[in-house]
Amino acid sequence: MNNISTPVRRLDAVEKTAGYTKYIADRDFGDLLYGKFLRSERPRARLVSVRKPALPDGYYIIDKDDIPGENAIHMLGADWPVFADDEVRFIGQSIALVVGPDRKVLEELVNQFEVRYEDLPAVLSLEDSMALKGGALHNDDNCYADYHLLKGDPDRAFEEADHIYEHTYETGPQEHVYMETQGFVGVWEDGKVHLHGSLQCPFYVRHAVTPVLGVKDDGVRVTQAPTGGAFGGKEHYPDIISTALAVAVDKLKKSIGIFYERGEDIVNSVKRHPSRITIKTALDKEGNITAMDFDSILDGGAFESCSCIVLQRTIFHATGVYDIPSTKLRGRALATNHIPFDAFRGFGAPQAIFALETHMDHLAEMAGVDPVAYKERYFMKKGSVTITNGKIHEEVKLPEILARAKEMSDYDRKAKEYGKGGNRGIGLSFFNHGGAFTGNGEKAIINAHVKVRKRADDVVEIYVSNVEMGQGLMTTFSKIAAQTLEIPIEKIEFIQPDTDIVPDSGPTVASRSIVIVGTLVGKASAKLKKQWVDGEEITVWQEYEEPDFVIPWNQDTFQGDAYPSYSWGVNVVEVEYDPVTFEVSIVGLWNVYDVGVPIDRMIVEGQIEGGLVQSLGWAYLEKMEFKEGRIQQRTMADYVIPTTLDVPAIENDFILNPYPEGAFGAKGAGEIVHNGGAPAFVSAVEMASGKRFDTIPLTPERIMEAGR
Amino acid sequence: MSESYRPESLDELLKLMDEKDLIPFAGGTDLMVQNAAPVLPGFKKDVVFLGHLKELQQIRKEGHDLVIGAAATLSAIESHPDTPGLLREAVALIAAPALRNRGTMGGNICNASPAGDSIPPLYALDAKFRLQSRKGERVVKAEDFFKGPGRTDRKKEEILKEIIVPLKEWNIKKYRKVGTRAANALTKCSITAAAKVKGGRIDDISIAFGAVGPVIVRDRTLEQNIKGLTMEEMKEKIPSILSDYSAIIVPIDDQRSTAVYRKQVCLNLLKDFLEQDMKG
Amino acid sequence: MKKKIDFVLNGEKISMEIDPLKRLLDVLREDCSLTSVKEGCGEGECGACSVLLDGEIVNSCLIPVGTVEGAAVETVEGIRESENGKRIIDAFAEEGAVQCGFCTPGMMVGAEWILRKYENPTSDEIRTALSGNLCRCTGYDMIISAVEAAAKGGRK
Repeated sequence: MNNISTPVRRLDAVEKTAGYTKYIADRDFGDLLYGKFLRSERPRARLVSVRKPALPDGYYIIDKDDIPGENAIHMLGADWPVFADDEVRFIGQSIALVVGPDRKVLEELVNQFEVRYEDLPAVLSLEDSMALKGGALHNDDNCYADYHLLKGDPDRAFEEADHIYEHTYETGPQEHVYMETQGFVGVWEDGKVHLHGSLQCPFYVRHAVTPVLGVKDDGVRVTQAPTGGAFGGKEHYPDIISTALAVAVDKLKKSIGIFYERGEDIVNSVKRHPSRITIKTALDKEGNITAMDFDSILDGGAFESCSCIVLQRTIFHATGVYDIPSTKLRGRALATNHIPFDAFRGFGAPQAIFALETHMDHLAEMAGVDPVAYKERYFMKKGSVTITNGKIHEEVKLPEILARAKEMSDYDRKAKEYGKGGNRGIGLSFFNHGGAFTGNGEKAIINAHVKVRKRADDVVEIYVSNVEMGQGLMTTFSKIAAQTLEIPIEKIEFIQPDTDIVPDSGPTVASRSIVIVGTLVGKASAKLKKQWVDGEEITVWQEYEEPDFVIPWNQDTFQGDAYPSYSWGVNVVEVEYDPVTFEVSIVGLWNVYDVGVPIDRMIVEGQIEGGLVQSLGWAYLEKMEFKEGRIQQRTMADYVIPTTLDVPAIENDFILNPYPEGAFGAKGAGEIVHNGGAPAFVSAVEMASGKRFDTIPLTPERIMEAGR
Repeated sequence: MSESYRPESLDELLKLMDEKDLIPFAGGTDLMVQNAAPVLPGFKKDVVFLGHLKELQQIRKEGHDLVIGAAATLSAIESHPDTPGLLREAVALIAAPALRNRGTMGGNICNASPAGDSIPPLYALDAKFRLQSRKGERVVKAEDFFKGPGRTDRKKEEILKEIIVPLKEWNIKKYRKVGTRAANALTKCSITAAAKVKGGRIDDISIAFGAVGPVIVRDRTLEQNIKGLTMEEMKEKIPSILSDYSAIIVPIDDQRSTAVYRKQVCLNLLKDFLEQDMKG
Repeated sequence: MKKKIDFVLNGEKISMEIDPLKRLLDVLREDCSLTSVKEGCGEGECGACSVLLDGEIVNSCLIPVGTVEGAAVETVEGIRESENGKRIIDAFAEEGAVQCGFCTPGMMVGAEWILRKYENPTSDEIRTALSGNLCRCTGYDMIISAVEAAAKGGRK
């Protein structure tokens, strides 16, 4: 058998390239009606009245009065209604769904509604939210979450500090721009609603829809369609579409499709949380960091969605790869009348890492030391105590990672030669990412099950609820099974996730697929191998087992091991800066990672490169502004993502560090790849321009405006 | 719902334009975006396709001019050997190949977007437009043609037939587009500048800025002030030249950039042109 | 109003009664069942709907079908069985150029266009040629490598 990391051809590559793969909008569902949302035009208002247009034959309006169960979308909380009831909370919120055969007529009908609003004072900034403008939107303090962490004795460290440096860092929203927009089709089949959609989490959709229809778990069926990119944007947002769609299908007993156009998708779907993070650092006489104090604020938008969980990841990554003796943290996710913010690759960690790395760069500059040399002194090691008073259980191979990254990028020479303000710069970021759900979530919340079934023809089927969405899961899972069973990968069949067919192995999120579910697939395959009898049908189940070495997690106090293992990485970005136009071009990109053992090197390199470029887009191109609660960049011409000419060739390498609990030693790799691009980029631009920055996207406009 | 026409000849086109109120449709790369709608594009009026007419696709040299058919694609202009360098550079940076294979210069001109990238070089190069109707033709200078965003001097029955670009000799040239990203980008601002310097004296100079006003910014009086100066005299006058241009560059804030940035960058680019490009 | 339109689609002459303003993208997907052609943005920004029109790459979302009268239109369905097509598919699979796959047929059309245009394309030429084909998954590098490999006739 081969080394598990040796690349194989992705199982879906040929079908996708040659255009055979049928995404949701490519499939023929026979007579299909279409659904189009009537949406709020106001950021915050009381809905006084909704006057419906006269409907031609064959057209229907579905609204809150048609909901057989609860008018609440169950995610973590359930504050987001399927259709607005008596108030609207953001521009774009669903009020009703118009259904019918002709999309042009649907658009006209949507425009014929007369909605009367009574405007309320809208919460359009974090300041508005903290001031409880217009009365609280959530609880009595506008906090979806208000968390506190304490490690060591920060108060004393600040008292005894020789010097204190405090600064605030901000990041903007980010739109996912999956190339395939949101799309769902609902059909009435075998006496229940069957939803087909472009999505990450079939069981999340089921969990959201069943209370709305007032049916039991198996009263709705959800099948994932081939998914043209997701990045977190198809984690919870499909719940918004599918709940409304399910109500319509349940009422009309007809097949209905909802397919977003790009503009509709950009303006109405969820985004990455904007952040404002203030870091205060205490330094002793020798200039050593003795403590850090964080105030981490996320804009949660109009409904809770998964803001609390995103915030948890932000705060648990606050100190990144560094062992800071004493830390103190307050983290808040605040309600505003912006569009709800939600999951996006990295899930709150990129915001924390950007603030921290940029802050460390500035500390280094003040100390007159190269930022890399400065940061190295604080690297975590095996046994280091984390911000939640848990422990690092693994060997931390940052020194090896750094050495390789320096070698590949020629960092030391370039950093010395370029100097400050010489229009050329090189930046290097350090970062990590905890694998899988936070704390004991994998056991307490998910408790994944997988099923592996050998058919009589000796083909082995994998049954999981984790989806192929571009990250290569179908191939890597098949590879794990094939390698374990010592059979050719052609003898493995990955079953399309469908809630009526596969067990709930949890959502396709949190870099958990390989390290948790892939590992279960490996264990199940090992069991199957022991029971293997040619020509016989055998089914094997495997349930998640928590590693025994962890410091138990307390979800109330956030103490213990937030994650059993971390992946680690370094990004190096080299730039050229044009002082005439303030434009930056990226001329070199190098990455080195410890993701345990990559299950297929090429697939993981695909994650590394794609995640880095997405992170760089967030760092300097992808500007999204709100004006009176309305998104200003409403097309792909105005919300710009990187093209082939915005990024150069990319070089990657791995430092192997097998994780005993992961399949073949693998750790998570899907999200860490978004953590380091932004700070490395900003660091490079600081070197090239001789200026100091604290906000992304770092557009030429911002570079111009920044003082020295 | 709109009707569409597909004339077989220029004559037929002019007849249709005369008889009906039509939207001339060349490559359609702007029109299809502006009129996008579910099921069918939602044009306000009927449409006449003209991109296929051979008479409108020619690019030829005529004396000291390059004559570009209004329906010549941007790709054809980009690859034509006689296209002036400044125009070629500008055209090559419009959108991406697929769009340039379809978009036309005539369309870019008649769409009259302040961010239309082929227009500043046409201003700077003293281009003229030949408009034709059934009654006859007339030639209009670029700077007289544009009346504001989306508004031009073209009359309902006229079509833009040709773009006439004088092939002057410039020995110093600069085109710089500042876009939203490295490729496939909309323009935040641009400079097209050219000068003819002989024996240390500036015989001729032309400077145009794109996307910083309702129409392209070019000021012949300010250029006149620079003409005839020696290079040394010009260098000394750079601060006053910049201050003159500062008064006429009045951009706006929008979703792509800010007024402050656009203005500052235009002035920086002008300074760079005067100080660096005009060195040699 | 519907009119008769004739054009050549993937090498075959076809004739249809159709509204000439209907987008070529919709005609290909809905009337010809050629679903390799994807709608990514509907405004000529992303290249997912790329097709070849008389051998040149264009965005089918910006083209009313009435304007392709008499022209030759090619989609991935017409390219994938060809010598070039097989080479491109092979190279994309081999070089890791495919992730979610939604942009990939458009990239394949771009690759075919490049292979016809250049004998030995440099990576700069490939990047410029594909600058209107957006991908959100790969960061582009492996796509560029795949096109280079296809042009060289195998793995680079």
